[in-house]
Amino acid sequence: MVCFLKKGRRVNTDDDVRVVGRGIRQSMSSLHTWVGLLLGWFLYAMFLTGTVSYFKEELSQWMRPELSRLSQIPDQAAVAQRVADELGNIAAGGSQWSMRLPDARNNSVYAFWRTPARNPGQRGFGEANFDPATGKKVGSRDTLGGEFFFRFHFQFHYMPVVWGRWLAGAAAMFMLIAIVSGVITHKKIFVDFFTFRWGKGQRSWLEAHNALAVFGLPFHFMITYTGLVTLMALYMPWGENVAFKTPAERQQLTAELTAFIQPGKASGQKAPLAPVDDMVRQAQQRWGRDNVGRVTAVHPGDAAARVAVARGEAGRVSMSPQYMEFEGTTGKLLTVRDNVGAAAETRGVFYALHLGRFSDTETRWLYFLVSFMGTAMVGTGLVMWTVKRRQRLPDPGRPHFGFRLVERLNIASVAGLSIAMTAFLWANRLLPQPLEGRADLEIHAFFAVWALALLHALVRPARSAWVEQLWAASALLFLLPVLNALTTQRPLWRSVADGDWIFVGMDIMCWVLALLHAVLALRTARQEARSRSGRTTSRHAPVTVASGEGLR
Amino acid sequence: MNHLLAFLLCLVGFTALAFAMRRQQRDIFGRPLQSTTTYVLRVIGACALLLALRILVAWQGWSLGLVMFSGHTSITGGIVLCALVGYARMYARTLRH
Repeated sequence: MVCFLKKGRRVNTDDDVRVVGRGIRQSMSSLHTWVGLLLGWFLYAMFLTGTVSYFKEELSQWMRPELSRLSQIPDQAAVAQRVADELGNIAAGGSQWSMRLPDARNNSVYAFWRTPARNPGQRGFGEANFDPATGKKVGSRDTLGGEFFFRFHFQFHYMPVVWGRWLAGAAAMFMLIAIVSGVITHKKIFVDFFTFRWGKGQRSWLEAHNALAVFGLPFHFMITYTGLVTLMALYMPWGENVAFKTPAERQQLTAELTAFIQPGKASGQKAPLAPVDDMVRQAQQRWGRDNVGRVTAVHPGDAAARVAVARGEAGRVSMSPQYMEFEGTTGKLLTVRDNVGAAAETRGVFYALHLGRFSDTETRWLYFLVSFMGTAMVGTGLVMWTVKRRQRLPDPGRPHFGFRLVERLNIASVAGLSIAMTAFLWANRLLPQPLEGRADLEIHAFFAVWALALLHALVRPARSAWVEQLWAASALLFLLPVLNALTTQRPLWRSVADGDWIFVGMDIMCWVLALLHAVLALRTARQEARSRSGRTTSRHAPVTVASGEGLR
Repeated sequence: MNHLLAFLLCLVGFTALAFAMRRQQRDIFGRPLQSTTTYVLRVIGACALLLALRILVAWQGWSLGLVMFSGHTSITGGIVLCALVGYARMYARTLRH
């Protein structure tokens, strides 16, 4: 038989397969399938870790339980002075320090600094969190907190940062192609807007995938495109290289993009830094008491010192720099940067849309939920690949290598990632402290558990692996609040009594996600039982259930 | 409060728009509704969505208002779909018994 494909119609002839007049939708459908699959596992991990990063500050607070919550935001000017004094001691002689001040979502001051290099060619760098009340380094456990998921979602780990970012860029570009080709393939977006055919096997998977894609389409497109924009200088540096050649031109460009002022040259003359709190107070008068974001000093302790006080991110859909620059030794206001050029502002708006840091709590939840829909969209797309192909296998009981590979990678990247991310939080509570390299060990625990999940997926029958891993994720999530109660002074009942909504929210979210994983596990197990009984009654009946099909 | 109002308006808007579609009318009412009713439902749906946008933009300006509107419409669209799926399953179960 020969099989012709003409505008979606199959015409069979004897022993040849040819494609005639392949329509645009068929071409786009194939493109959508393959660009969705090839880096789909990376995309799923990027989406899920990126989704939780909308609450990275809250996650970081939960992961540093020794640091008490801020019942009200302290005076940012006073905090800035305390931490600047401390940085004057620990980063003395460095060319730069920068601190992010506490706000409604951050109960500590994060600061980094550059120190004189020990060896030629090396750049000294330090970072730490500081207690706003004392200005000293926080005495809490060593952890990267929610920052790990944030960094992982665009640069991964165990590889040079640039490689990771290129990989993330390739995955994002594939995603963009998948979105456009998916829209063309779907065709009936508006006609089928509220349509969902339940219990129709492969069709249900497609409907779920479509629904998740269509309702979140503006977000999915925005988040993918703006994700690429955040790293555009890395992916497409040529225009910039041609347009800005001299150091002065490049400095001008930098000033349009970031509030981190460039160090320039030190004078070599020692001079104390003027009071930083006065500078922050001037910024508070301009932008509001709690709306100062960052204080950066270059060459502090030198006569050429300068200080930039940048505006906070709340309520402003732009990451374009807005800052006041002061002379470091006198505290005299040098410049106020309130706006940038149109191109820089466009980039700033895209950047802000991606990060969503301007959001109030409700908008942040909207970001989280729609991003979660995007994660589920990628997940259903991955599973659908196996669901569709299982039906066409000559012997569904013994699939070919490629199918088995995709199936196992799906299990480890979808269910396994849930386990690994929860294991990261367990490691945060269980690793002893103090412990050398504790923050790194938490990360190693995340990857070790993820690798074990992959191993488990490889050795177990696929359907059992889905069920077992989903149950494991559910159990770990369900018990996490219990572990928190046993290992910290902040159990749920105390958090409720204290009105500590970050810890309360974290515990409740763990249980909600545990329930979600349990429901998925139950449905998958039920589907497994159904397909097993189907096989018993009719050995020759076509097996239409793919691994994980019960996830619907 | 503005969030809640916008959320409810989007929910009403999408519900009206869903009821204005032929397939959903057949699934829910067993027959297509009159064209006038369908037309009114479309107008109600569109007006509710526009009013939600108006409230958010008046409150936070175009940039933040549009972002919030996009979030509310994405979530409420999903909720209406889930409600329709739930109704269809419940109805099918009732028929079976």
